[in-house]
Amino acid sequence: MGLKAIARKNAIHAMLVYTEGCNGCDIEILNALLSPRYDLEQYRILLTWNPREADVLIVTGCVPWQMVEPLKKLYELIPEPKAVLAVGSCAVNGNVFTNMVGDIGANAEVVGPVEKVIPVDVKVPGCAPRPEDIIAGAVKGVPKLMEAP
Amino acid sequence: MTERTKDKESVVEKELSLGPVHPALIEPFRIRLFVNDEIVEDCELTINMAHRGIERLFEGLPVERALLIAEKVCGICSNVHAWNAVRVVESGLKIKVPDRANYIRVLINEIQRIASHLIFFGHAFEILGHETFSMRSFLLREVFMDLMAYIGGNRVMPSVPVIGGIRPRSDLTESLKRVILERLDDFEKKYLEYVDRILADPLVMSRLAGVGLLSKDDAIKYHATGPNGRASGWDYDIRRMMYEYKPFDFNVIVLKEGDNKARVVQRALEVIESLKIIRQVVKNLPEGPIVNRDWIPGEMDYTTMYFETFRGELMHSYSLDSQGLIRGYKIRTPTPTNLAAMEKACIGDHVTDAVLTIASCDPCLTCCNRVEIIESGKTRIMSEIEVVRKYGWRR
Repeated sequence: MGLKAIARKNAIHAMLVYTEGCNGCDIEILNALLSPRYDLEQYRILLTWNPREADVLIVTGCVPWQMVEPLKKLYELIPEPKAVLAVGSCAVNGNVFTNMVGDIGANAEVVGPVEKVIPVDVKVPGCAPRPEDIIAGAVKGVPKLMEAP
Repeated sequence: MTERTKDKESVVEKELSLGPVHPALIEPFRIRLFVNDEIVEDCELTINMAHRGIERLFEGLPVERALLIAEKVCGICSNVHAWNAVRVVESGLKIKVPDRANYIRVLINEIQRIASHLIFFGHAFEILGHETFSMRSFLLREVFMDLMAYIGGNRVMPSVPVIGGIRPRSDLTESLKRVILERLDDFEKKYLEYVDRILADPLVMSRLAGVGLLSKDDAIKYHATGPNGRASGWDYDIRRMMYEYKPFDFNVIVLKEGDNKARVVQRALEVIESLKIIRQVVKNLPEGPIVNRDWIPGEMDYTTMYFETFRGELMHSYSLDSQGLIRGYKIRTPTPTNLAAMEKACIGDHVTDAVLTIASCDPCLTCCNRVEIIESGKTRIMSEIEVVRKYGWRR
């Protein structure tokens, strides 16, 4: 393990961005990251709201067209190396919001899963995913940060 | 705003803009505060940052399938939306619901009401800056998330109601009843200590008391329903008119003050009333069938049902065509009217209290992103794309 990896390991900052899911995943993430029961801070993964400080971007929700540009901008603001977590069925594949074979066909308001907008490293499926799964996903994104030059 | 600046040209007004993505607001919405020497003079909220066209998704779906989407309108009050969507078709097609199913629906609704109010405490105290109270509230909430997982199988989307009853998985067994009662006793002890500690804390109370005043007339004028209206002295609760809640004995908490403290205390007292209802459900649960499958989807007129959610008054309305497909789904959630009242309430306060006042109405923006344009007396609903094409981005 190089010097950079040792330094990065002790303070991994995660940023949460909400692109119109249903709030369920967001509260589960806040539970996983913050609440005393599933405490991610014990693994030195901290929550931040500043993209300049963040290493990991956690995205929830199907991305509607209003949030495409803000999401791209946030992604560019995060310094390298960075990892992106797509949490929840909406972020992974669009869930019920892309198309439910009603009269309208594909939903024009929703641009689609997060993959279409920014590159995604780890996907955590589930509606809503359990906090344990989110923690497992966050830990899976860590090696990418460690191994970066 | 333009008129006011013309009148008083010497006064320099500053705009403070927060959002759409901001630490204090987890959900994307934009607050524009017009401040004069740190005193808020006017406030404007833009809430259409996250429109996903959910009402259009319902169009032409079979009823049974549409209830899947109805639950995903909101993740905090998922059971409310599922239940109210079911109530519309039950009332329209006159489907009889067994008593046992109604009891269990009430049970899961009250469990989720407590979980939602505890999220409110967590969120409000985080904005206020008291992280210990926020964390304690999230810890207390885990009791109810566990109970929801035991009953429905999922922590967030329990999917309990189906048309004519409840899912067979969510039936209560004897051992589950015992678990619920044990957890409730344990929770109540801890919760009362927690609330006593909040009310005895002079620092928190000095931030809450006397800030964000909303009078009863304003609450009625802006239709601030639910806990916000009841904290301003408006005695209005749809649960009293619902036949599902007839067998239960509970009080409706009405406070007169109408400030942020009243809104916090009102919710704190409502949790205790919900605990009372849960105990009554578990003790008096009748035996019998849990679902009535004896119904056929057919033609149904526009039917509207109102429901008391954790944040206020909710309306679901739709009709069925001759094949049993949904036409013209309409949802009205409490948050738009609550936020409009809070725009009024935060005027005249210090700028640091404005975000807290807006958060004190417990906004839930996932379910409220629709646009209503009133032109020459006619009301019609426009989609976001139509509005932007007609009026441009910044209207």
